[in-house]
Amino acid sequence: MSEPHAAPDPRPDLGTAPGTAAGLPVVIVDDHSIFRSGLRAELDADIRVLGEAATVDEAIELVVALQPRVVLLDVHLPGGRGGGGSEVIHDAAHRAPHTLFLALSVSDAADDVVRVIRAGARGYITKSSSGAEVSEAARRVAGGDAVFSPRLAGFVLDAFGAVAGETAETTEELDRLSAREQEVMRLIARGYTYKEVAGSLFISPKTVETHVSAVLRKLQLSSRYELTAWALERKLL
Amino acid sequence: MTRPRQRIIAGVCAGFAEHTGLSVTVVRSATLLLVLAGGSGALLYAWLWVTTPTETANPARFGAGELPKASLARPAPGYAGSSGSGSGSDSGSGLGGPADAAAERAAAAASSARSAPITEILLGLALLAAGLTLVASRLGADIPLAVVIPAIVVLSGTALAWRQFADIRGGSEQHSSALLVRALGALVLVAVGILLFFVTSDSPDGWTVVIASASVLLGVVVVIAPWLVRLSRDLADERAGRAREAERAEIAAHLHDSVLQTLALIQQKAGPQSDAARLARAQERELREWLFTGTGTGFGTGGGAGADGGGGAGSGVPDVDLPTALRRIGAELEADFPVQFDVVSAGASLGPAPDGLLAAAREAMLNAARHAGGPVSVYLETGATAVSLSVTDRGPGFRLDDVPDDRHGVRESVIGRMRRLGGSALVRPGPGGAGTEILLTLPTASAAPAVPDPAAPHPTNSTDFVMKTHLTGPIRAENPALSVESVRPDPVQPDEADADGSRS
Repeated sequence: MSEPHAAPDPRPDLGTAPGTAAGLPVVIVDDHSIFRSGLRAELDADIRVLGEAATVDEAIELVVALQPRVVLLDVHLPGGRGGGGSEVIHDAAHRAPHTLFLALSVSDAADDVVRVIRAGARGYITKSSSGAEVSEAARRVAGGDAVFSPRLAGFVLDAFGAVAGETAETTEELDRLSAREQEVMRLIARGYTYKEVAGSLFISPKTVETHVSAVLRKLQLSSRYELTAWALERKLL
Repeated sequence: MTRPRQRIIAGVCAGFAEHTGLSVTVVRSATLLLVLAGGSGALLYAWLWVTTPTETANPARFGAGELPKASLARPAPGYAGSSGSGSGSDSGSGLGGPADAAAERAAAAASSARSAPITEILLGLALLAAGLTLVASRLGADIPLAVVIPAIVVLSGTALAWRQFADIRGGSEQHSSALLVRALGALVLVAVGILLFFVTSDSPDGWTVVIASASVLLGVVVVIAPWLVRLSRDLADERAGRAREAERAEIAAHLHDSVLQTLALIQQKAGPQSDAARLARAQERELREWLFTGTGTGFGTGGGAGADGGGGAGSGVPDVDLPTALRRIGAELEADFPVQFDVVSAGASLGPAPDGLLAAAREAMLNAARHAGGPVSVYLETGATAVSLSVTDRGPGFRLDDVPDDRHGVRESVIGRMRRLGGSALVRPGPGGAGTEILLTLPTASAAPAVPDPAAPHPTNSTDFVMKTHLTGPIRAENPALSVESVRPDPVQPDEADADGSRS
């Protein structure tokens, strides 16, 4: 169903609100064709799939050529130098400056999550998410927000010592979460949607998104021991 | 240089001829001459015999640099043929004969290159030397005992060393201590023999000392060689094994990934409440548990961890691990009710799961499964001071008129149980007023009085809530009917007052 006039379309879409008439241009990268076609069929109507790729090399080529707004990216991919999804982000991100990556994986392993987030993915959801959930996550990412699954939120609380009672003193601190960020993460870990988090904390959904983005930034930039250890173990740094 | 299979005695001459390009007849004549002229030819012949492999016996992996290995890799058939035909002329094979049949049988049994009977040859030489010495001294000949006795000792020591090597090559499982004792014994024998040889010689001079030193070194090398060979072989084996393992793990990881994908797809396609989806979910959980248990520290991606480390570590833990116990409960309930539990845990859960907490959690989850169904989130946080657990469903929620019937289970088995444990429980409407949220809090036994965490009590609002419930728990639990409360009993300041709202 990919329209032939794919190339010029993403441009006007950039920066504007997602889900406009043309639809949100996405690329699906997954080495399982069944999953690709399944996901494609399940996605909402306003998500426009520009193309699909099955390997690291294909994905890089496709993303650079099509410049989609969002790439739905599997964490485990064959090809390339064996780096999987994070390698795609690594190699394609600077050549597709307006493209955002949403990691999609069956793996719950902490190092998989950390690796792909630290490579630059704007979110991480599991593949058991429904088509509507994936669509929503893609829209959210396209709007510049981060997407956290409950599991990722739990991991973040754990990795940043929030569970042990550590709280950031200043807003610049990268290695700990602020009190508000911890609250937001806790509610997300409990399965709350952003809107529900906002309602429960009496803050606006936009503020929730700000907090989540801040946490994502910390996750990407923090040099906290737990994160670094994982990264080092996997030779990511 | 190799020895051909077609041979007169041991094929040494033929092999040498082929190797050097000389005529076989010339080589044989020269050898014969040397044998007749003082016996040096016989020694040379024996040495070449021992150290030269048979033609077809050695695959390419026995390189030229591995002489001890190569010489020992000579298969028994070669030996059998050579000693059988050579028994008349060669001094060693006279006694090697009896071992012949045994060696042949051993060779038949083990198709791998079983060790050559070097031990027997050397021991035979030693015995023969001893016998000849005895006979000669009986006949009145002047026997240089100073030379003969050390020689016998050296031969025995070397034989022991070869014997040990043979065991290693044969792959027989030996206690390393036994091997060590034998090796040390052999070493001592060789050293003593070589030393004796020179100490007892009549005219010690500089050359004697040099030769003695060189001989001792040589002896040590001979004895140690098997160990070195084994070390290098083990190293190579291990390296190859690791490469195989890594490859296997990669394939397994890919396979697991595919299976998980397929199961996820089935769940999506079949609709959340269908039997197919339930079955797929159960299978997925089973595989996931096997793959990812014990990988909390971030080791490995699936296959590798599951194959070795994870499997072992995971099998011991699940019975005591609270998150795993919760997942199991979830799995049980999913089999009976149209519900999907998503269990998320944060914080390292140490020690066994308290039975009471688990039972209360089970009751809360059962409540969600029975009355709500659909997706249910279970979030467990093991903090420094308390374990808190929330079960959030998206069901119709509790209505007040349901309370008398439904609440008994919750009141008794959740709230009452938590209170008896010293914790607290709270039932309230879920996010946005939909569904139900059950919060359980249990102070950690050790941490509750002792650890004055600087950051505690949690300054966050949501946990604040939980913590407060915990603190005031008994009072609330006294009156469970009160537990249906407003969404947020703690008045929270609006967004603008948010402490870090200014950030970013």
